[in-house]
Amino acid sequence: MHYSPVITNADIAAKDENLHLFQYVEDPKQCEIDTFVSRGGYKAWKKVLDSISREDLIETIKKSGLRGRGGAGFPTGLKWSFVPKDSPKARYLCCNADESEPGTCKDRVIMERDPHSIIEGMAIGSYAIGCHLMFIYIRGEFTHCIEKMEKAMEEAYAKGHLGKNIYGSGYDLDMIVHTGGGAYICGEETALLNSIEGERGQSRMRPPFPAIEGLYACPTIVNNVESLAAVPHIINRGAEWYASLGTEKSKGTKLFSLSGHVNRPGNFEVPLGFNLKDMIYSPDYGGGMLGDVPLKGVIPGGASTPMLLPDMIDVALDYESLQEKDSMLGSGAIIVFNENTCIVWVIKKLIHFFRHESCGKCTPCREGTGWLEQMINRIEAGQGQTGDLEKIEEVCGNILGRTICPLGDAAVMPIQSALRLYRDEWQYHIDHKKCMVKSNFEFK
Amino acid sequence: MSEAVKKEQPNVSVPTVTFTIDGQSVTVPKGTTVLQAARDIGIHIPTFCWHPQLKSVGACRMCYVEVEKMPKLMVSCMLDAMEGMVVYTNSDQVRQGRKAVIEFILINHPLDCPTCDKGGECDLQNLTFAHGFDDSRYDFKKYRFKEDDMTTTFDDKKIGPEIMLNRNRCILCYKCVRANKNAFGEYDLGAFERGNITQIDAVPGGEVNNPFSGNLVEICPVGALTNSDWRYKIRVWLTQTTPSICNFTSSGTNCTFYKEDHQNKIFRVTSRENESIDNGWIPDITRYGYQIINSPDRLQTPLIRKDGKQVKATWDEAIDYIAKKYTEIKESVGGVCIGGLISPSLDNRSLYSFSKMIRTVCKSNNIDFRGDYRMLPSSPDSPFGVLRSQPFSISAIDDSDVIVSFGSDLIHEHPNEYLRIRKAYNNTNPKIYSIMPYAVKSADVANIEYVYNPGTDESAVNAICLAAIEENVVDSALANDYLKKVLPSTLKDAVALCGLDEKDLRVLARSIADGKNITFLIGEIVTRSKSRDAISAALLNMNKLFGISSKGQISILARYANSKGAEKLGLLPDPIAPIKEILKKNFNGYPESEPRNTDEMMAHIRKEEIKGLFVFGSNPMMLYPDKEFIKESLDKLDFLVACDLFETETTESADVVLPLSGWAEYEGDYINLESICQTAKQAVKPNTDSKPAFEIIRLIAEKLEKSNFDSESLDKELADCLAVNTVIQFPDDFIEMKPQTEEIIDEYTLPIFIIDDAHHSGYLTEKSPSLNNFSAEAYLMMSEELAAKNNMKNGDSIRVESIVSKVILPVKISQSLDSDVLLVPRNFQSSPVTSLFMRKRRVDRVKISKVDA
Repeated sequence: MHYSPVITNADIAAKDENLHLFQYVEDPKQCEIDTFVSRGGYKAWKKVLDSISREDLIETIKKSGLRGRGGAGFPTGLKWSFVPKDSPKARYLCCNADESEPGTCKDRVIMERDPHSIIEGMAIGSYAIGCHLMFIYIRGEFTHCIEKMEKAMEEAYAKGHLGKNIYGSGYDLDMIVHTGGGAYICGEETALLNSIEGERGQSRMRPPFPAIEGLYACPTIVNNVESLAAVPHIINRGAEWYASLGTEKSKGTKLFSLSGHVNRPGNFEVPLGFNLKDMIYSPDYGGGMLGDVPLKGVIPGGASTPMLLPDMIDVALDYESLQEKDSMLGSGAIIVFNENTCIVWVIKKLIHFFRHESCGKCTPCREGTGWLEQMINRIEAGQGQTGDLEKIEEVCGNILGRTICPLGDAAVMPIQSALRLYRDEWQYHIDHKKCMVKSNFEFK
Repeated sequence: MSEAVKKEQPNVSVPTVTFTIDGQSVTVPKGTTVLQAARDIGIHIPTFCWHPQLKSVGACRMCYVEVEKMPKLMVSCMLDAMEGMVVYTNSDQVRQGRKAVIEFILINHPLDCPTCDKGGECDLQNLTFAHGFDDSRYDFKKYRFKEDDMTTTFDDKKIGPEIMLNRNRCILCYKCVRANKNAFGEYDLGAFERGNITQIDAVPGGEVNNPFSGNLVEICPVGALTNSDWRYKIRVWLTQTTPSICNFTSSGTNCTFYKEDHQNKIFRVTSRENESIDNGWIPDITRYGYQIINSPDRLQTPLIRKDGKQVKATWDEAIDYIAKKYTEIKESVGGVCIGGLISPSLDNRSLYSFSKMIRTVCKSNNIDFRGDYRMLPSSPDSPFGVLRSQPFSISAIDDSDVIVSFGSDLIHEHPNEYLRIRKAYNNTNPKIYSIMPYAVKSADVANIEYVYNPGTDESAVNAICLAAIEENVVDSALANDYLKKVLPSTLKDAVALCGLDEKDLRVLARSIADGKNITFLIGEIVTRSKSRDAISAALLNMNKLFGISSKGQISILARYANSKGAEKLGLLPDPIAPIKEILKKNFNGYPESEPRNTDEMMAHIRKEEIKGLFVFGSNPMMLYPDKEFIKESLDKLDFLVACDLFETETTESADVVLPLSGWAEYEGDYINLESICQTAKQAVKPNTDSKPAFEIIRLIAEKLEKSNFDSESLDKELADCLAVNTVIQFPDDFIEMKPQTEEIIDEYTLPIFIIDDAHHSGYLTEKSPSLNNFSAEAYLMMSEELAAKNNMKNGDSIRVESIVSKVILPVKISQSLDSDVLLVPRNFQSSPVTSLFMRKRRVDRVKISKVDA
């Protein structure tokens, strides 16, 4: 099978011990359990089983300041502590590896190159909530990741890191690799649970939250791959070490998937708070704009996050700083586009994606995304009508905050930001029946 | 009754919350949704996807409310009321939100209201009227599921025998899929694709043909699901409604008849929620069974046999003829020479007047209402009679922590009770067990399904008791007494007989012993068995050992619409003493003749001691499990009067045939299996020259110069009977019991059981075209394994041979059946399956072979 490597800053990470997630990803042997163990793998898992109580473990993760890396940034330790301690039901841990936010390709690197770190993190998380059966839900198209994870799981079973009575501790833990069918919505935690249960991949209303009533109506924790992969390092090096990385409120390191019109697109691990401008222009990272065409805008955290204008990019990449700029850190997918890009075309591509991925459960998202796509397609094709922009804004308003899951919000937020930031370009499309960027291009 | 019981329960422990809706302060139990709380005080919050019997999913977003201190609009169907919450259901923001939802829904909706059957009762129509725009801002082409639909709005697709789907109209509330799966346990309907081209459809290669499928049409908020029964026949606003009850289920499912007075015709039946009985779901038998009333095959006029042929006659001629023949026989034979058989689906007045006629005019105790059960017991307080008389409450299922169904194929016999058990399964997750001689679909909710060897019913019961004794979960003194009376007395021996798994039995025994609120319902396997008294004795012993009746309910369920009424009104040959007392008073005396049930009557007809028989609405020729026996008897009769809605095999041999009115054509009271009396109002006037049974009986009685057969006197007299408590006390001691075995004759090895088809009940429903769309001919149901073993596949013609007869039937392979038994439906006149059976056998056995093509 053809496999194209993704650029990573593994060389920097190899030198900087603090960049733990990518430390060994460039070494193909890292996938093998012996290499992984020789580099300290499963040490944390053994340590947890040997000597750490559940309460202390959760406390450690809380202290480390680790926040969910899937996009929402919810504190991981706090999430674990929500699982009821006295529930007679089974508990489950699901690792969310349904990475499908456009622009995001970071989890895939860990799954392909360091799968055992995920298993170890999942195991520790399972122990923290008293779970004996953990799932990893992998996006269906990631066949390579699925193979790697399955092989790693078999190795872990064979070497006694999973299974019955692990390390003689009396703790049993089983693992299931569950593959999705390639639906974006199944990365949303409740839809993911439905999918594992064999139901349609549609999100559920919350409350009840999965920590109380999740998979098979049992307490369930859903964590992102990157969050779980960080957990063993926190156990090994201590919560204080992890908390020393990053900013005051956004601790630790984060993977960023840089794509678009830059010289060096790829995945980069940096401490949170890293400057976005540096990410794009530093030779170690983005290496500047492709062909030196000036920057027009940046989507900082995956397709669903509002855009940033060039004068807004001198910003720290952390949860709070981006929020101040009315955007979000999201999953860390930075999409850069230059001045030759038509913003209406960008939005057309995005809304096509969200319309296509809308699960069809709740009315505003199901019907609204389809309507938006039709209107935006029309404008892009030079057939926009006066009042279309206002209508788009109103429809966006009728979707935002009115849907079961965040997909509806995700679909409209980039549109709203593009309308706000690039209003003149939209207006030009309507008024002149053609694109401002490609003004020499005549529409039929 | 059940309502009252509920209210008496102390309600103190439930915590409550107090909050405000539109300025009104409301106090509700914790966990109540804002939507429910608002509805309770009469504030209507519009919905599409919400249904009281289904778990809320919050999909349609129509039920938005505004809550103070919450930034977004909230969906009230999933918002639990919280202390101090301030809710607005009609603020500007809320109205704007709903308007937006309507606008979204209408984007792809065809708005073909003029040609839509839902018009006039469509939620979308009504809510658009209330909230929507008068013009659409959507200026693109609407999405159509088929290219053809671009020019028309029709996308009618048959997805089941009765269901048509129009995907363009569907607003994706998912109510049908959810109800089908959660409330009915069926998986034949699903949602496919996603986003705005999501569509509801039958599963690939399948069709929606489950016994509750009609409900899906009823709960559809738009015209996406329609049934061929109602399509394009009439506009809903031209119909009038009549509250009624079902004549085919013993729970007396509440329903509404939609009729049109000028045409004097019923157009459809829908549910009429009665929380204590049916939760708003009705089985298809109820929904489509009404069609027999409209059938063109109905008997039009009385018929009199002249020169061997039945010819049309007037009522006067027929009644005169009956009176004349009756007098002749009476005078020539003397003694008690007349018998009567009546249907337990007729109303109270008809049943009572029949008893009055037989007992006062004919001075006979030759009377029965059970035309389809072999070898019935005569004495009213037989073990079977005791268990049958026990009270039963449907709504008590909701609160049961242990539910055991013994010998009942619930979906076929008691569909409402099955749905009730499913509801408990979904809501409170009780322990559910099914014990049957063959595997059944209704056991899909059971924790464990027990399948014992056919014919070892009492050993299976005994095995449960012995498991409890070995597990030490019952009183040891009782256990000792029990062991003295019962054989076999070790679990091992009992297990060897019944073939159940010992470990599973222990689980069951523990559950029954630990149960705090048990529902133990017993079905037709026991009622229909020749050994019903032995099985009932075993069950009575079990009841005493475990004390089931003291912590719940145990009862043999009544099977027909008015079985309970028939028992209470003295239609048994030998009613219990208090009933007899009242009859004696009402009749000014009581016949002293020998009480004879159906079997005994037939036997005495053969001995030529009974010469004349009145059969009202009963068809023993088709339903009694020994066709030959009945046929020979009826042939011997001098005089047979048969009243029915249709020509049947029984009316064929009658000397006088009288057309009977259906239950929708007159007002009648029926007593359901809970002993609750319900009224079916008159929906239409009889279309044919038919009369209700009590009217026919009055004419005959008056002709014979008997008075007091008018409705008023009858109602007064029968009220006394209904007031009697007919529950018979449990016996004090354990009943002695030993297993009965029956030898297998030659190569006839395969056990065969009579069932009702899931879409039919008794012999009348095959006159309903809609029900026939589901199933129109008899079949031989077998498991996949058995079919494979015999190299048979679906549709193959099979010769089924018993010692007495043979029948050729097509194979129908059942997914739920897994043992080596055969099932045949008794509902189809064209296949006389009862001819295979012999009344003296406990388990009928047959051999099967392929008919060579």
